[in-house]
Amino acid sequence: MAAAGSVKAALQVAEVLESIVSKCVGPGGQQVLCTKSTGEVLLSRDGGRLLQALHVEHPIARLVVECVSSHLKKTGDGAKTFIIMLCHLLRELDAPTDQKKDCLAAGNTQAHGQHWKNCCQWKCISRALVTFQAQILDSFMDQCLSRHFLSIFSSSTKEKILCRSSIELLLDAYFSGRVGKNNHTFISQLMCDYLFKCMACNDGIEDFFEMVDIYFVELNVGVAGFPVSDSRIVAGLVLHRDFSVYCPADGDIRTVTVSGTIPPPFSTSGSEFVLHSEAQFQASQFWIMEKTKTIMKYLQSQNVKLLLSSVKQPDLVIYYAELNGISVVEYLSSEEISLIQRITGLSPDVPPQSYSQHEIFNIALVRFCKPLILKSKRYVHLGLISTCLFIPHCLVLCGPVQGLVEQHENALHGAFKMLRQLFKDHDLSYMAQSGHPNSTSSPLIDKSKESDPLPEVGNNSMRRPCEGTVVKDKDGLKSVQTHLIAHSNWEMPSIELETASPCPTPKMTPRTTYQTDNTMKHLSQDNTRIIDYHEPLMESKLTANSTTENPKIEMSPKNVQVTRNTGKGSILPVSFKSRESYYYSSSLSAGCVLPVGGNFEILFHYYLLNYAKKCQQSEETAVSMILANALLGVPKILYKYKKGSYSFPQIYVRTLYALQTNRPIVSTQTGLESVAGKYQLLSSVLQCLTKILTIDLVINIKRQPQIVYDEDSEDEL
Amino acid sequence: MSRFEAKKPSVCESDPLKSERVRATLPVLKGIVTSCYGPSGRLKHLHNNVGGHVCTTSQSSALLGRLSVTHPVLKILTTSMQNLVSCFSDCGLFMTILCCNLIENGQALDLAPTTVIESNKLLLRLCTTYLKSEVCGCRIPVDFSSTQILLCLVRSILTSKPACMLTRKEVDHISALVLRAFLLTIPEKAEDSIILGKSIIVPLKGQRVLDSTVLPGMLIEMPEVQLLRTSAITSSSALKVALFCVSLSGDVSDTGEGTLAVSYGVCLERAVLDQLLDLGRQLVRDHVGLVMCQKVIHPSLKQFLSRHHVIAIDRLGVALMEPLSKMTGSQPIGSLGSVSLSSYGSVKDLCSATFGSKHFFHLIPNEVTVSSLLLCSRSDAAWEELKLTCQTALHVLQLTVKDPFVFLGGGCTETHLAAYIRHKTLHEPGSVLKGDGCSQTELQLTAEAFCRALESLAGSLEHDGGEILTDRKYGHCWSAQSHSPAAVNWPDLLSRCGCGSLSSQEQLSWSCLKSSYHPSMPPACLPQEAAYSSSDLTLDCFTAKLNGLQVAVETANLILDLAYVIEDTN
Repeated sequence: MAAAGSVKAALQVAEVLESIVSKCVGPGGQQVLCTKSTGEVLLSRDGGRLLQALHVEHPIARLVVECVSSHLKKTGDGAKTFIIMLCHLLRELDAPTDQKKDCLAAGNTQAHGQHWKNCCQWKCISRALVTFQAQILDSFMDQCLSRHFLSIFSSSTKEKILCRSSIELLLDAYFSGRVGKNNHTFISQLMCDYLFKCMACNDGIEDFFEMVDIYFVELNVGVAGFPVSDSRIVAGLVLHRDFSVYCPADGDIRTVTVSGTIPPPFSTSGSEFVLHSEAQFQASQFWIMEKTKTIMKYLQSQNVKLLLSSVKQPDLVIYYAELNGISVVEYLSSEEISLIQRITGLSPDVPPQSYSQHEIFNIALVRFCKPLILKSKRYVHLGLISTCLFIPHCLVLCGPVQGLVEQHENALHGAFKMLRQLFKDHDLSYMAQSGHPNSTSSPLIDKSKESDPLPEVGNNSMRRPCEGTVVKDKDGLKSVQTHLIAHSNWEMPSIELETASPCPTPKMTPRTTYQTDNTMKHLSQDNTRIIDYHEPLMESKLTANSTTENPKIEMSPKNVQVTRNTGKGSILPVSFKSRESYYYSSSLSAGCVLPVGGNFEILFHYYLLNYAKKCQQSEETAVSMILANALLGVPKILYKYKKGSYSFPQIYVRTLYALQTNRPIVSTQTGLESVAGKYQLLSSVLQCLTKILTIDLVINIKRQPQIVYDEDSEDEL
Repeated sequence: MSRFEAKKPSVCESDPLKSERVRATLPVLKGIVTSCYGPSGRLKHLHNNVGGHVCTTSQSSALLGRLSVTHPVLKILTTSMQNLVSCFSDCGLFMTILCCNLIENGQALDLAPTTVIESNKLLLRLCTTYLKSEVCGCRIPVDFSSTQILLCLVRSILTSKPACMLTRKEVDHISALVLRAFLLTIPEKAEDSIILGKSIIVPLKGQRVLDSTVLPGMLIEMPEVQLLRTSAITSSSALKVALFCVSLSGDVSDTGEGTLAVSYGVCLERAVLDQLLDLGRQLVRDHVGLVMCQKVIHPSLKQFLSRHHVIAIDRLGVALMEPLSKMTGSQPIGSLGSVSLSSYGSVKDLCSATFGSKHFFHLIPNEVTVSSLLLCSRSDAAWEELKLTCQTALHVLQLTVKDPFVFLGGGCTETHLAAYIRHKTLHEPGSVLKGDGCSQTELQLTAEAFCRALESLAGSLEHDGGEILTDRKYGHCWSAQSHSPAAVNWPDLLSRCGCGSLSSQEQLSWSCLKSSYHPSMPPACLPQEAAYSSSDLTLDCFTAKLNGLQVAVETANLILDLAYVIEDTN
């Protein structure tokens, strides 16, 4: 059975997923209850977990879920935004299908059927997406967005010092999307306290987060039955075991860790022990006992008071331990042992066979060691003395039901993953093409020289004469048009107006909702109109002209018109063959953040629009337009229930205005989010979309895909 | 090879609270728990129709633990209750009813769930700060110099479980026993941190409830024959005790991972038995009078010991090991070799005792921190219920020692709290509101719903169609008989308030709980003498109730916050 893989089908799938996910996204999101047939109940707002719990059957949905989970593995955040973005991208792709077809795949569509025709066209777009993701995304991050970034480190000093208030804002925003609104402030406060209690100093933040991330399970204890507000932080390490022997001791406690049984085994595997008489048996048993006794005596003489063992010790050891005043904890997991070793700086274990020789025990110091009782279950509470950056503390998480405790546990773990990601530097490398406004040398101009009668000037200065022509030749409109058509691929006169000149905007702020609604309408429609306006070229040219003549016209509607212009321009099949490009490499420095509430999306949207206007290639323009519009989907959902000046159109217009006038953007929401996470999210979404678009047929097979692969490779051979 | 099976897609249900399934089942659950609540609550009889064990109960843990609820939303509610009860033993029904009421009232409000949750959170904070504060009018500090408050507390717990089938006299008897059993677990020597001992409940079915008794020390059940055999040797003096955790059965213990080649004629068992007898000789040499073993003692060793007038008790089980080792001060011995002298403990006396048809060894320790509560009851079902109730009472007493306060019972805390919230939200809403989560009007609307939930909880105590009233000064809960004439003289009709601290002759004015009455004054604090004067107060555990309130609100918020239910059908 085979089904055509089409954007329509993918969109349907994505819309279903979106409808579930969008109810949980953002600070106003609600909880989802997942149950298993085993009776397990889990509460969650974690997108990844929800998608997994759904057990989706549709092949495309499975593909999407796979993409999301691989993204989550990297970043631990952004699953819900992933789905929303993907859905909007698909919607954007699906809406103007008919027109796009003509322009994008005009050449090679005649011979094939409708479906294949579509596929070719999607292939085209997906190729453009890949190039965008590989080349342009990084440059955007570096050149356009980076100036808006804030840093999580306090700016007063040169050293990287974590700023508590900004961490608080970051965590608050993170948890408001992860745990119920009932508890999110409490949990984020708890996490913040935990962070600052555990962190010894500001160096090696990366190692610190790596450690917490790896050992998170060992660093928290969940207790069901108490109110959430009873959750707390305890100093030291809580081991999920009870003492086998507990002998109270004061002062610093010397501790040894063992990974095998202390008495020598009666017989080791692979050997045979021949017994000739009963006396021999008794003697060997006696010898083992004496050996154990001396080892324990030795430990006591070394003033060891605590024995941590990863295996069960025989009764004999327990007995002698108690006689010698040594507390014993057995059955420790290997993770717990290795965590203790990392904290105390102990070298790993010695092989258990050599316990009988002395001096091989590594002794660590523990400040205290006592039982901790939580809900009638006993734990071992160790006050380890840290020799590394991590000062051990444990989280005791309480909640009325286990499902809620688990949710908080997962959210906290996710938050550590997110922070770990945040404090990493991310490399950005991209190819900057000369079409960029910033680059100076441009072989493009040489090209244009040939095709165009314009004087030879630098790329930057070229606009002005061009613009000038427009203004001057008011009557000779025709000739201007030809210029414009020729040049439209890399620049439009009106762009310069919008980005550089602050003059046409003063009337913007006091606009009422009516106006902004108007803007919105235009924006949502412009995509469909891009091609509609192909024919009445004349008319839109006129508007372009009118803007140059009269720059005091309202800004926002013009913005739309300009967009339309570029869209049209991009359609023109002009291509430049040889293009020189420059490789830049830069990095997204650790600790970059942006205010929450769709700021990243709106910023990106804004720069994409600008970029689209300057694009040379039709695909690039189309892709950037699609992406720019799809990006707005996220803030639209976030502000869905807000009214008045907090509604999405208002915020959108305000932000754009601030950007155009180079004023600082005023965010309506407190809270920060990691830029690195957003960046990775965007590239993951684009990768996923590419994957979906390149599939043309979904074939249902009965066997495991793995077997099929094997056969394939054999065939090739 | 593992078998692959295609996973079925999950069922996803949106807005679960509005779904037909929940609308139908939530009221049923609420009806079940509400009808069980309080001293006059109705009993539930649980059975399955293929026979087997039946259970008559009105306790939340016994009831909801056996009920199987189907809908995930209800499952959250019941697990939440079970977790609470496993932590605090008490207040399970209180929490479940309150949670149901809150969900019901929260849904009936025409507000966004976000707002309801936000203001529920504010109201909860208001409640907890009030209940923990000094000015709180519905809690009283426990006076440990007299047993009166503690006795009232235990009695309230016993009377609120009607399935125990106790008469008034029996309630008095059992509550005195429970309190005594608890007091025996407190060590005499006070150190900076007190570790409480343990009360062990020993079943004795088929006797009258009034035959129940409490004994210091530990009772170990014995067959009569063995008791007779050993009673000859018992001397009424202090005995040296050896407590073994290792098996003395004479089996060859773990020989490692390698293979063992044994020559013909060599018998390892004999070797081990020789070892055991050596051990026995050592015990006799050390003048040990009592040998106890968690596991099995070899018959030969037993015989050897009894020949030397040493009492041997085996098969104690792991549960008794810890209290035994604490009580006797001995160390569990894990070695068959030489036994260190320091691991022996002692008991003050050992005697045999017979209660009903059962025979026991009675170990009397030097310092009592372990007590045995012999509980008698005629029927199995009533005994189970009584045992659970006594465990609850013992746990509640422990919690009360930790937090030396008690709440007024009989619905008075609930109505008092409701009056306080009403007053606060009406007259000082600014002090309650924090942040911009909700407006003043929204807060007042949700506060009304919250108070109604509390008051209808107090009203659930009344099952016989009576009228529930509240007085305007203290905000206590009063219950009047049904079919009272229209124009009534309340002081004559009412006698005492729910908790028993106020009498109707104190110049109070009453209003019906159903009528909307808005207090202009915060409810007054109970006069100190009123709290201590009455010997028949109804009291509730402070810790359990406070946590129950918090858990109820948190669970209700959780359920109100649900957007979807995803059910994995695999």
